[in-house]
Amino acid sequence: MDNYPVLIVVAPLLAALLAGFAAWIEERLSYPIALLGLAVSTFAAFEVLMQVIFFGPIRYEMAGWPPPMGIEYRIDLLNAMVLLIVSGIAFLNLLASYESVNQEIGDRTGSFYSIYCLFVTGLLGVTATGDLFNLYVLIEITSLTSYAMVAMGDRDRGALASLNYVFIGVIGASFYLLGVGYLYIQTGSLNMTDVAIILQDYHGSSTVLTAFVLCMVGVWIKMAFFPLHAWLPNAYSYSPVVFLRVVAPLMTKVMIYVMIRLMITVFGFNYIFKTLNFADAVVILATVAIIFGGVMALAQKNLKKMLAYIIISEIGYMVGGVWMGNQLGMTGAILHILNDALMTFAVFLGVGNIIYQLKDVDFSNLGGLFGKMPWTMAGFVLAAFSIIGIPPTCGFFSKWYLIMGAFEKGAYHFAIALIISSLICAVLFFRVFEICFFPSSSQDNKQKDVHAPGKIEEAPVSMLIVSGFVSLSLIVVGLFSGTIVNMIILPFLT
Amino acid sequence: MKFLGFIVVGLAGAILLYGTGDFPDWGDPYSPASLHISKDYIEKALDQTKVPNIVTAVLADYRGFDTMFETAVIFTAGLACFLLLRDFREKKERFYRHTPTGVILHVKAGKKILDGGKEFEYMDKDWVPSDLIIKTVCRILIPFIQIYALYVVAHGDFSPGGGFQGGVIFGSSLILLAISYNLKTLVKRISEKMLGVYAALGVLIYLGIGVICMLMGGQFLDYAKLAPLIPFDSNHIRALGMLGIEIGVGIAVTAVMAIIYINIVSEGRHDEGL
Repeated sequence: MDNYPVLIVVAPLLAALLAGFAAWIEERLSYPIALLGLAVSTFAAFEVLMQVIFFGPIRYEMAGWPPPMGIEYRIDLLNAMVLLIVSGIAFLNLLASYESVNQEIGDRTGSFYSIYCLFVTGLLGVTATGDLFNLYVLIEITSLTSYAMVAMGDRDRGALASLNYVFIGVIGASFYLLGVGYLYIQTGSLNMTDVAIILQDYHGSSTVLTAFVLCMVGVWIKMAFFPLHAWLPNAYSYSPVVFLRVVAPLMTKVMIYVMIRLMITVFGFNYIFKTLNFADAVVILATVAIIFGGVMALAQKNLKKMLAYIIISEIGYMVGGVWMGNQLGMTGAILHILNDALMTFAVFLGVGNIIYQLKDVDFSNLGGLFGKMPWTMAGFVLAAFSIIGIPPTCGFFSKWYLIMGAFEKGAYHFAIALIISSLICAVLFFRVFEICFFPSSSQDNKQKDVHAPGKIEEAPVSMLIVSGFVSLSLIVVGLFSGTIVNMIILPFLT
Repeated sequence: MKFLGFIVVGLAGAILLYGTGDFPDWGDPYSPASLHISKDYIEKALDQTKVPNIVTAVLADYRGFDTMFETAVIFTAGLACFLLLRDFREKKERFYRHTPTGVILHVKAGKKILDGGKEFEYMDKDWVPSDLIIKTVCRILIPFIQIYALYVVAHGDFSPGGGFQGGVIFGSSLILLAISYNLKTLVKRISEKMLGVYAALGVLIYLGIGVICMLMGGQFLDYAKLAPLIPFDSNHIRALGMLGIEIGVGIAVTAVMAIIYINIVSEGRHDEGL
C-alpha cells in the first residue's frame, strides 16, 4: 500500500482521538484503542523500512501537492530506522504499562492514553517529515504532551519540574523556529531538499550562519546537550513511570536524529565541516558532557536521577560522534541511536517494575531486590551491561565505532572520555548491584533468619515479558550489529 | 549568575543582528521569499483550488497537513488542562441563598446537595448579586456573537477568517455566558462530557476527511478525490474540502476554549468560579 508513510503518523493520532472519546463514554476501551493504534503504526513502520531497504527512499506528497508547494514526507534509511524504533518502543511500553497506569494515574486513564498517543504521534511526525516547519509543529505536540505528563508525576515536585521544563523547552522550540524563519528569508522555501539546493549558493551568508546556529541551539536544548541540560534530571525523575519509560529512550534520540537530518540534508557536510570550523569546539563540548554526566551520576542517591545523568552523558556520545565529521563517527552515532534507545528502554523497564513494587527507588530502599524480584533484576543487569559496554551486548559496538572515529579524527580527548565514562558506568551499576544484592540493614532486624530465601514479589507478568524481550533484544541487536551497519547505516551515508 | 545571563542574552542579540546583515532589502520584490514559492501560490492558488483567499488556500490545502497538527496541538492543550487541573473530589461545604427572603443556608460537608430550583441560589466564593442589566445585555448579545462566529467559519474561503478565528469567537461567547451568569449556567448547557467529545470530534472531522481521501485512492488530505462522494459542484471540490476541515477546526477550538476556561477558573471543580 502506498499510504504506509502517512499511516505511521495518522494511526496513533486517530487512536489518540478515539481514546479521548472513549474516556468519556467507556473508559475501559481507551487502552485497547491506544494499543491498536500503536500496533498499526509499528506495522506500517516495519513495512516502510522494508520498502526503503529494498527499493530506496520513499517520497509521499501530502494532499497530492508536489513539494515545495506542499508538504512531503521523505523517508530514507535513517528515518525508517528511527521510525521503527520509536513506534516499536512506544507500543511495547504501552503493552507493559496497563497495571502501572492504573496504579499511578488512577481516575483519568482514558485521557492519559490519549495524550500518550499524541506524544508518540509527535515523535513519529518529527522523524518522518521532510519539511522544516512541519517539523516544528510536531515538536510542539511532543513538547506540550511531555510538559503535561511530567506534571502528572510526583505530586509536589512534578509540577515545578514541569514548569522549568516548559520555560526551557519553549525557548528551545522558539530558537529552532527563529532559525527556520532566517532560512525562509534567505531561501523562500521550507522543504528540506529544496532549501538544501538553494543554500549551496549562500554558503558565505551571515543569515545562513545565524540560521544554522539558531537551529542547532534549539535542538540542543531539546535534547539536553551540555550545558543546556538543566531541565532534564528533574523533569525525568519526577514524571510517571509510564511516561519516563518512553521519553527517556525516545525524546533525546529523536532530537539527535533531527540534528543529523539538519546537518546532512539541509545544511550539508560541506558547509558545516569546510566553510564553518567550529566542529572541534562541539566535540570538546561533547567530551565535557560525557564526563560531566558521569560525575554527576556518581553523586546521586536515587536510581532515576542517576540514570537521568547517564542519559546526559549518552547524548554527549552521539553529538560528539556526529560532529566528528567522518564516516566511522557518524556510523557510531547512528548505531548508538538504536542501541541507546533499546538499552535505556530496557533499564527503565527494570526501574518501572521496581517502582511498581516499591514506589520509590532511593538507593536506601533497594536492599535485597535480587531476591525479591529476580526476573526484573536479570533484565536490569543485562541493560546495565549494555550501557557499560560489555561485548556481546549492543552498547559495546556503537562505542567501538565512536572510539574508532575519534582516533581517525585525532580527537583523543573524546576517546578517553568515552573510556572513562564506561568505567564510571561500571562503578555506578556495580554499586547498584551491590546494594540490591544484600538485604538492607533495616530489613535484617525484621528478618530473623538472614539466610532464609526472601519472598518473591515480582511485577505483573506483562511487564516482565516485555522487560525480558527487550533485554534479550540487546544481545540480538549486538550480535547483528554488522548486518545493521551494512544494510542501513553505510548505504545511508554513502 | 545575573551577569552571566546578561552576557548570554547580549550574545544572542548580537547573533540575531549579525544574521540580519545579509537580509534582502525591506520590501524587495526580488527577494527569494517573494520569488520562490510565494509566486507560485499567488499565481496558481485561485486556479487550482478555486478559493479566492490565498491565505486559506495555503493554510488549509497546500499546507493542510500542518494545520491538522495545529488543531491537534489545541486539542492537546485542552486535554492537558483537563488532566492536570480537573479535581473530582467533593467540595467540603456549600452555601445557598434563598432568593425570596435572602436567608443564607450553610450545608456542611457530606450533607445533601440542594437543588431547590429557582428558590435557592448556589453561592460560591466569587458570588456577586446578579445584575439584571449585565445579564440581559449578554443574553441578547450572545446569539449574535455566535451567528457571527459561524459566519467567520463559513466565510473563511472568501475573506479573512476560518476555523481558528470562528472557534475563538464562539468559545468566547460561551465564556461570556459563564461570566455574566455563573459557571453553573454554562456547565448546565454544555456538559463537561460533551465538551470533551466535541474537542476530539473537531480534530476527528479533519483527520477523517484526510483518511477518506486516502481511502478514495488519493494521498492523505487530497480533497480532489472527494469528488465522487459529493454529487454537485465537483469544480469547487477543494474549496468544499477546506470548508469541511474549517468546521472541524472551529468545533475543536470552541470546545477547547471552554474546557480551558472552566478548568482554570474553577480550579478543576467545575462548580464555582467566575
